Amino acid sequence: MKKQSFTQYYRKHRTAIVTATSGLLYGGGWSLGYLTGFEMASAAILVLATVVGGYDIAKTAYHEVTNRTLGIKTLVTLAAIGAIVIGEYWEAAAVVFLFSLGSYLEGRTMRKTRTALQELLEMTPDTATVRRDVELQEVPAREVEDGEIVVVKPGEKIPVDGDVVDGQSAVNQAPVTGESAPVHKADGDEVYAGTVNQEGALEVRTTGAGSDTTLERIIRRVEEAQEAQSPTESLIDRFAKYYTPAVIVLAIGAYAVTQNAILSLTLLVIGCPGALVIGPPVSIVSAIGNAARSGVLMKGGEHLERAGKIDLVAFDKTGTLTKGETTVADIEGFGIADDEVLALAATAEKKSEHHLADAIVDAARERPTAATDGGAAVAQADDTDAGRQSIPDPDDFDVVAGKGVIAHTDGTEVVVGNRALLDDRDINVPSRIADYVRKREERGETVVHVIRDGDIIGAIALRDEVREAAPSVVAALQDAGIETVMLTGDNERTAAAVAEEVGINEYRAELLPENKQTVIEAYQADGHVVAMVGDGINDAPSLATADVGIAMGAAGTDTAIETADMALMADDLDRIPYAVKLSKATRWNVLENVGLAVLTVTVLLAGVLTSYVTLALGMLVHEASVLAVILNGMRLLRH
Amino acid sequence: MSDTTQFRVLDFDCPACASTVERALTNVDGVQHVDVHYATGRVEIEYDDSVAEPGAFAQTIENQGYTPQPA
Repeated sequence: MKKQSFTQYYRKHRTAIVTATSGLLYGGGWSLGYLTGFEMASAAILVLATVVGGYDIAKTAYHEVTNRTLGIKTLVTLAAIGAIVIGEYWEAAAVVFLFSLGSYLEGRTMRKTRTALQELLEMTPDTATVRRDVELQEVPAREVEDGEIVVVKPGEKIPVDGDVVDGQSAVNQAPVTGESAPVHKADGDEVYAGTVNQEGALEVRTTGAGSDTTLERIIRRVEEAQEAQSPTESLIDRFAKYYTPAVIVLAIGAYAVTQNAILSLTLLVIGCPGALVIGPPVSIVSAIGNAARSGVLMKGGEHLERAGKIDLVAFDKTGTLTKGETTVADIEGFGIADDEVLALAATAEKKSEHHLADAIVDAARERPTAATDGGAAVAQADDTDAGRQSIPDPDDFDVVAGKGVIAHTDGTEVVVGNRALLDDRDINVPSRIADYVRKREERGETVVHVIRDGDIIGAIALRDEVREAAPSVVAALQDAGIETVMLTGDNERTAAAVAEEVGINEYRAELLPENKQTVIEAYQADGHVVAMVGDGINDAPSLATADVGIAMGAAGTDTAIETADMALMADDLDRIPYAVKLSKATRWNVLENVGLAVLTVTVLLAGVLTSYVTLALGMLVHEASVLAVILNGMRLLRH
Repeated sequence: MSDTTQFRVLDFDCPACASTVERALTNVDGVQHVDVHYATGRVEIEYDDSVAEPGAFAQTIENQGYTPQPA
C-alpha cells in the first residue's frame, strides 16, 4: 500500500524529482571540483547528474527523431552528449539541469493557463434534483432530459439550462455573463447551468443538460478561439520554418571554420526559437481566458489583435446606449382624445415587430378605458389578462422600413410614422404639432405622428432611458484616446439630445439599417479601425462590416455569438472599455514578447560568436527568456 | 465507422512537443486525423473504430513523455 502511493507520488511529480536530483548532483559535483584530488569523483558525479536529468529528455528526443521533427530536446541531448565526449562534464550537467528546471517551470505555469477555463466548468454541479412521478430524485446532471423539472434549493448551483416555472429568486450569473450583481428570476425567465441560486427555491423546466448548456457552449467556443492562430502566430510559424534550418547551417558552418564543437552546439541550443514561438500563444490564450471569465467572448487571436488597434467605437443607440425598453412618455391628440389616438395607433402597429410598435401596443393595453368599442368584443387569446384592453387587428398592414407603418381599419387609413413618411406622402404639418414634436425631441424622445385619412390627429412621444453606465463608458473610452460615435435611425434632434446626455462627441441620425454599414465603411476609408457595438441581431450587417463587431447581451442568442467578433454575455456596457483595454494590453504584450525573444537571441548569438557565452550560460539565458515571456503573457490572466 | 476522442495534456512545454505528439498519434493504426493544440493542451483524435485500438492513444502520448488526461 505504502509502496503503491510512493509510486503514484513519483509518477505525479516525476519531473520535479528528476530535476531536483539532477540539480543536487550537479551542485555536489561542481563543489567537489574545487577540491584537489577529487577531480575524478567530481567528473563522475557530474556525468551521473547529466544521465539522471537527461534520461527523459533523451527519450523524447529519440521520439522526435523517429517522428522526423527537430525539437529543442534533440538539440539539448546532442549538446550534452557532445560536451561529455569532449570532457566538459560541468557544461553537460549544467545544460541538462537548467533545461529540466526551465521545462518544469514552463510546464507548471502553462498548466495554470490551460486550466483557467476548466475552473468555469467545475462550477456546474454533478447531480440534479428532478421531479419524477411526484417524487424528487437525485440524478446525474448529465442525464436530465429536456422538459424535466429540476428543483434548485436556495444556495445551490443550477445544474441545467432551463426556464423558471415556479418560484422566484436572485441568481448570480457571474460564471456565464461575468455580471457580479445577482439577477432577479421569476416565472418564464431563462436560467443557466453553473449559475448560483441565492435566495428562493426555483423549479426549472430543462432546456439543455450535460454538454448542451450555454456554459459548455461558451467554453467550447473559447477553446476554439484560443486555438485559432493569430496573424502574428502564423507569421512566426512561417519564420520558424526557415529559421531553425538556418541555425543548423550556421552551427555546421561555425564548426567547419573554428573546429570548436562546443561553440556549434551552443549555437544550436540558443538558436532554438523558444521564447519566440511560445510568447504569442501564451499572451492570447491568457487574454481570451481572462475575457471569458468576465463574460466577454472573443472569437480568436486574429480578432483580439485587430481589437488592439481600435481607435473609434460606434454605438448603436437603441438597446445599446439606451436600455431598449421603450415606453410611451406622452400622447397629444389634436382635436381628438389622447386615448383615441393611442388606440388607433395601436391597431395600426399591432402586427409590427418594431420596438416602438411594441411600446405603443403595450401602452394601449394598459389604458383603463378604450376608445375602440368595436374591437373590445373580439377577445384575442393573448389579450385575456384581467384589466387589459384588447386591440383589434388591422384589415391590412404595410411596413415602410425606417419610416413607419400604413394600415387600414374600419374603412379608414391609419398611418403611423416619422417626418420622412409625412414628407413622402405630402402631408402638411400644422405649426402647433411641429412645436410639440420639437419640444419632445429636444428631451431625447422619439415622436411618431398618427394620421387618419390624410389628417394628422395626434402624436405619440416615446422614451427609451439611457443606461446608467453609458456616460462613464463613453468617458472611459475617450480617456483612452478612442473616438466615440452614435448611430441611430432616430431623427436629428432626438439623436443630439441622447448624444449630449451620454457625452458622445459625434452622432449620425436618421440612418436606415443599411446606412449604418455605409457610415462604418466611410470611417474605415478615413483610416479608422472601427468597433461597432450593437445587439447582434438587428445590427448583424454593421457588426460584420466593422473591423470588430461587438454584440451585447449575447447569452442565449447563438446568432449573436456566431456573427460578432466579440460578444458581451451580459447587457453590460461596462465591459466595453474593459475589452478594448484588454485587447490593447494583449497587442502590447505580444509585441513585448516578440521583442524580448528577438533581443535575447541576438545578444546570445553575438555572445556565442565572440566566445563570451558558454553552453551553460547560453542555456540559462535561453530558458530564462522562455520563462519571462510565459510570465509576461500570464499577466493578462489578471488584467 | 469514424469516431473521435479527446485528451488533455497539461504538461506540453513547447509548441514543438505538441507537434511531436501529433506526428506520433498520426502514425497509430486507424488514426485518420489528429489535432494537437499547444496553447490549450487539447488533443483531438479522429479514428476508424474498426481498426484503431483507442487504448493505444493514451499509451502513445505517454511514450512521448507527456501525461494525457481524459477531456
